[in-house]
Amino acid sequence: MELMIHSSSFLLPNIPAGEEAYALVLLNQRLPQFTPLLWQHARVRVCADGGANRVYDEMPLLFPHEDAAIVRHRFKPDVIKGDMDSIRSEVLSFYSELGTDVVDESDDQDTTDLHKCIAYINGAMPNVDKSSFCILVTGALGGRFDHEAGNLNVLHRFSTTRITLLSDECLIYLLPKTHRHEIHVNSSAEGPHCGLIPMGMPSGRTTTTGLQWDLNEAEMKFGGLVSTSNIVKAEKVTVESDADLLWTISIKKF
Amino acid sequence: AAEDSLFCSSTSKFPFPPSNLHCSRLGLPPISAMELMIHSSSFLLPNIPAGEEDNHRHSPTYALVLLNQRLPQFTPLLWQHARVRVCADGGANRVYDEMPLLFPHEDAAIVRHRFKPDVIKGDMDSIRSEVLSFYSELVSRATSGTDVVDESDDQDTTDLHKCIAYINGAMPNVDKSSFCILVTGALGGRFDHEAGNLNVLHRFSTTRITLLSDECLIYLLPKTHRHEIHVNSSAEGPHCGLIPMGMPSGRTTTTGLQWDLNEAEMKFGGLVSTSNIVKAEKVTVESDADLLWTISIKKF
Repeated sequence: MELMIHSSSFLLPNIPAGEEAYALVLLNQRLPQFTPLLWQHARVRVCADGGANRVYDEMPLLFPHEDAAIVRHRFKPDVIKGDMDSIRSEVLSFYSELGTDVVDESDDQDTTDLHKCIAYINGAMPNVDKSSFCILVTGALGGRFDHEAGNLNVLHRFSTTRITLLSDECLIYLLPKTHRHEIHVNSSAEGPHCGLIPMGMPSGRTTTTGLQWDLNEAEMKFGGLVSTSNIVKAEKVTVESDADLLWTISIKKF
Repeated sequence: AAEDSLFCSSTSKFPFPPSNLHCSRLGLPPISAMELMIHSSSFLLPNIPAGEEDNHRHSPTYALVLLNQRLPQFTPLLWQHARVRVCADGGANRVYDEMPLLFPHEDAAIVRHRFKPDVIKGDMDSIRSEVLSFYSELVSRATSGTDVVDESDDQDTTDLHKCIAYINGAMPNVDKSSFCILVTGALGGRFDHEAGNLNVLHRFSTTRITLLSDECLIYLLPKTHRHEIHVNSSAEGPHCGLIPMGMPSGRTTTTGLQWDLNEAEMKFGGLVSTSNIVKAEKVTVESDADLLWTISIKKF
């Protein structure tokens, strides 16, 4: 089975040369403290609808000693996309006048805002090397649970695209069953709390190394064992499973 | 024979029971004979109805479990409705710190005495020592001090799991059909904690457990029953969803939603019903898989 390597370099101030390229999607929940770091690493920054309100309102709060207008000019989204039912009119005007590309998709009620943004980014970057390209997402967790579930489902629906959901407390990404996985843990920025979640389908057999409570061909399912409150013990964690799993690890206080 | 081929065709596609037509040919009871489970969020209302209108045999009774995330604004309302209030470890810090904030015009000490947990339970690795002392020592004429049950030995189950097991053990004779355990602080924060808490709903599938935040509530609709959800539109909705968290659903049917499902397949990687809208006072759900029902809570 082919190997898939994972590393959260985007949490580090300087990304080692030759490593991943990033896009950033901002949804409508409070921005994590490290959002400016993600913004700086990303090639393209897409606000999903009310995510633009968050950038407008909260980026200046992360730079309290600077003029708000200067901060807002510095953190200008490349695209604002979605149904446009949450973005405030003054925020929409501000960014359109600055040159942000506004893509109104209020016709399409069948897919979530995150889904639209992922599809957009994939379409805009058709030649990118998928093995080293990752879409970082803020604001997908917390808030209304149906929104969160819809966002987790986007990870499963785009299982061949690397997508990482981020909050102040943790990150989540999919480990597709098509590959065996090596997770390189940056212990200055993440861990030690972690988990493996068989969302949507039970796992008949999962094996790991590098965890306090490693799994050895263990069965996992909702209603039975789900690996939560586990602890990373090594710099490298390996996972092999017969089912798609969500990997989650805590993020250290920024 | 015709019956054999009907049986084969109905069972070969999905692992779910055949339709009523097939059932009658096979001598099985029809699906609509599945027992009904009624759900209502009366605990969000200031006064809980007596229960006759909902065909409940008894008025609903509640227990409250408080985990270690910020208390929802309506926590005092839940506290008032509950027969027993259990803090899971750091949930006691939340009660100690945040109940006074919900009553800013009252003396903090008075508020803390009024909202005294009955039990504090769990590993005790998050509760602050002064909070632990405060509640253990609290004694009044009417009630004894908080019962502190230290389970730092048991690392195999989550704090929520321990609290649910405790409450079930403490109330063995309660009528389960009208008893519900309300939980605050199970959502948000670390995702592995949240997933562990959602798993508790699946592991205790015969106990009514509702997870609550300021934004929404969640509970399990076990596949063993067909469901009627009575929506209190003054307190909840209209945003809702049905989530097949552990196992795909081959067939789910609903009424009362903007985008009703009609024997629809749902699974992660495919369709999951999110951003749906409640359209009627009563929503019905019937499925071949356990589903999580979630509905938004209106600003308190």
